[in-house]
Amino acid sequence: MATTTATITLASSDIADNSLSISNIATLTTAGTDTGLTETTGLARVKTSSGSNTILLDHGLAAGVAADVTADKSAKVYIKNINDRGDGTKFVTILLAAVEIGRLYGGDWMFIPWSGGSGKDIEYTASDTTETTLEYCVFYE
Amino acid sequence: MATTTATITLSSADLLSDNLSLSSTVNLNKGGTTATGLEQMNYHRAIIPTGTNFDLIEESDALKDNSNYVYIINKNTDVTDYVIISINNEVIGRLYAGDWAFFPWACDLSAAANDSTIELQAFTHECVVEYALFHVGETLVTAADS
Repeated sequence: MATTTATITLASSDIADNSLSISNIATLTTAGTDTGLTETTGLARVKTSSGSNTILLDHGLAAGVAADVTADKSAKVYIKNINDRGDGTKFVTILLAAVEIGRLYGGDWMFIPWSGGSGKDIEYTASDTTETTLEYCVFYE
Repeated sequence: MATTTATITLSSADLLSDNLSLSSTVNLNKGGTTATGLEQMNYHRAIIPTGTNFDLIEESDALKDNSNYVYIINKNTDVTDYVIISINNEVIGRLYAGDWAFFPWACDLSAAANDSTIELQAFTHECVVEYALFHVGETLVTAADS
């Protein structure tokens, strides 16, 4: 069993009258247990110069992550757009199947649980054909 | 303009043969800007009973097609307690006790009504969740007696 932690800190000194400081640590465990997740894709990097919808994590595959991540198991996905923010108009839309989750502008990251299952591909669409680099990592059981 | 940062640190000494240590910090800015920070936020704590899928953060015209960021944590301590996060009918995943999620939310209003509302359902036991929305705007409702 491995121990992997994900820590988030949200901080601001001026978004409200008093400082905002939220910090929490999650230990990544298998579903419904306190046993640590033992598998990961490792940190991966992909580049795209296409504005077309592209599969990042493919549940159409028959083995590997696709076979191991199912609705009743535990999996966590980290994705970061490592481009510079630039003029702030370029982004990558992250989708789960056909449903848009949100936009990762340059420097943005996200960390979500992933239930997986048939058709539950995680996909991305760049806002234009500017070369965009994403880094991602999946932790799963 | 406000400056709000979100930092993630992923670490493990024994998941891989070498240490895993990854950290990333981002300023939460408005979409379409170089560095204009989001100025509005909502921060909630709620007890979610089991048996019903609830709208947690409703879509609105003021939020659409821009930079909004969502943070959700399941504050329960029983490892079997979890909530399912979904958008429309698409399940994103389960937050077990102590788990958190942070993601951008574009609030896509292009399809059916409530197609991008963030929904939450608790399983096993009621779950205490805290959630925050850092956002570009809010659709305020005119008072009925105004």
